[in-house]
Amino acid sequence: MPLDLTQPVPTIDVRAAVSPEEWEVRVELAALYRLAARHGMTDLGGTHFSARVPSKSEPPEHHFLINPYGLMFSEVTASNLVKIDIDGEIVLDNGFPVNPAGFTIHSAIHMAREDILCVAHTHTVAGMAVSCLKEGLLPMTQHSLRFHNRLSYHDWEGVATNLDERERLVRDLGDNYNMILRNHGVLCCGRSMPEAWRALFALEKSCASQLQAMAIAKATGRPIKLPPEYVAQGTSDKLESRHGKETVSRDWPGQLAKLDREEPDYAS
Amino acid sequence: MALDATAMPSLKGAVSDEEWDARVELAGFYRLVAAHGMDDLVGTHISARVPGHPDQFLINPYGVLFDEITASSLIKVNMDGDVLSDGPWPVNAAGFTIHHAVLSGRDDVMCAAHTHTVAGMAVSSVEGGLTPLTQKHMRFYKGIGHHPYEGIADDADECARLQRDLAHHDALLLENHGLLTCGPSIRSAWALLYNLEKCCQTQLAVEATGAELVTPSEELCESTRALFQRMLQKPGFGNLLDAWESSLRLLAREDDSFMH
Repeated sequence: MPLDLTQPVPTIDVRAAVSPEEWEVRVELAALYRLAARHGMTDLGGTHFSARVPSKSEPPEHHFLINPYGLMFSEVTASNLVKIDIDGEIVLDNGFPVNPAGFTIHSAIHMAREDILCVAHTHTVAGMAVSCLKEGLLPMTQHSLRFHNRLSYHDWEGVATNLDERERLVRDLGDNYNMILRNHGVLCCGRSMPEAWRALFALEKSCASQLQAMAIAKATGRPIKLPPEYVAQGTSDKLESRHGKETVSRDWPGQLAKLDREEPDYAS
Repeated sequence: MALDATAMPSLKGAVSDEEWDARVELAGFYRLVAAHGMDDLVGTHISARVPGHPDQFLINPYGVLFDEITASSLIKVNMDGDVLSDGPWPVNAAGFTIHHAVLSGRDDVMCAAHTHTVAGMAVSSVEGGLTPLTQKHMRFYKGIGHHPYEGIADDADECARLQRDLAHHDALLLENHGLLTCGPSIRSAWALLYNLEKCCQTQLAVEATGAELVTPSEELCESTRALFQRMLQKPGFGNLLDAWESSLRLLAREDDSFMH
C-alpha cells in the first residue's frame, strides 16, 4: 500500500454537530493528549485518555470521548476524538476506529464514578517501574504528597479484556482518583481536565524521583528521608482542597496558550 | 564538500514502487530511532528485504547519521554482500553479518533492527537478561534469544551462531552489546524495538532500587504470552497499536527529507 505521508489526517469538523459543552470537553481532552505527548508520556498508539460527554438529558446519555485508534497523541484533535457509549460502540461516526479492549478500564471507572470527567492511563517507564515495587509510591516529595493516603493499587490480572475485572477496578479505586496498576502502569482521573493533567504530571515526577532516590539509597546505604506524617497528611489535604479552584493546576491556561501558539490544530 | 545524504539524487521512479515504499518506510524507521534517542552516531543498523527480491536487502549508508538517512541513500545489497546500488558510502561489515544472518536464516522476516542504547546495553550485560516485570515485558516472556558476545561481528562465521541463537524468536539480546528485533514488516520490527527498549529502561529503574517487588506469577506470564501469541496470528494485529503512519506523518511534518 503506497504511503502518502504529506497529507494531514482527513478529519470531519464535528464542531457544528455537537453541543458547546461537548466541544469544550473535546478541546480540553485534545489538549491533554498533546501535553502528555510533549512530556513523553506516550506509548506509540497504545493507552488512552477518555472523558465523559456532558449530558443535559435525564437519565444522562453516558457518552464518552476517546482517541482515534492508530494515531499518535500529537495527532489528536477535538474533532477526531471519537464519541462512544459505555460498551465502546461508536455513537458519532467521524471515520476513525476505536480500541474497544483499551476502553475496558475506562468504562469501569466511568460507570461507577459520575464525579469523574476524565480517566487517563499511561505506560511511562517511571510509572511502570513504580508499579512493580511492593511498597508502591512513597510520600517522599511535595509532588508525591498529593497522593498520600489518596492512591489506590490494583493487582495485575493480565491484559484487561475481561469484563469481570471491572468490579475489582472500581473496588480498588474506591473514593480515590488515582491508582497504580501493578505490573502495568498508572491511572489518573480528574473531576476536571486540569486536575487530570496535574495528577498525570505530578505522579510521573513522583515516580521518577522516587526511583532515583531509591537507587541512591540502595547504592550508598544512606536511607531515604520522609517528611513527618502530620506534614505529609497536611500537604495532601491542602492540595486536595484545591479541587475546582484555579489553583488545581495554575499552569493549565498557560499550557493551552502555548498549544494555541505552537500546535493550534489540537482545537480544530 | 562534505557528503550529504539528503542531497542524493532521488531513486523514485528508478526503482520499483514497492522498493521505493520500503525505502521510505525504512528511512522513516532510522529517523524514528534517532527521534527517540535510540541511535548511536553512525553505529547500528536496520535492514529491510527488497520487496519481490527475497535475496536482496536495504541497509544504511555507513557514515550517515540516522537523522539524515534518506530513502535514496539506503544501500541495496544481496546475500553475497555485493552492493547493487550506487553511492559514496560503504556498508558496515558488522551490519552485513548480522542482517545477512537474520534475513537469510528466516524467510518470515522482512525487517531487522539493531540498537546500542544505554538501557539495551545495560540489560544485555546482566546475567539473566530481561526480567518479566510488567504487561509490556510479557511480549518477550520466553520469547527472546541470547547471543554471547564474540567481538566486532565482521566474521562471517558468526552468522550460523546468530541464527542458532535467534532461532524462531523475534527478539535477540546481543550480550554485552545491545538489542535486535525482527518482524514480518518494517512497522512490526519498529514496534517491537520500541517496546523492548521501554522494557529495558523499566527494568533498570526497578532493579536499581533493590527493593522488594511484586512479581507476576509464572502462570500469568504464560497466559499473557499465549494471549499475545494468539493476537499475533491475526493478520494486521498491532497495525493501529503501533501508530506507524501517524509516527511517519509527524516526522514528515518536522522534516520530510527522509522521503527523498
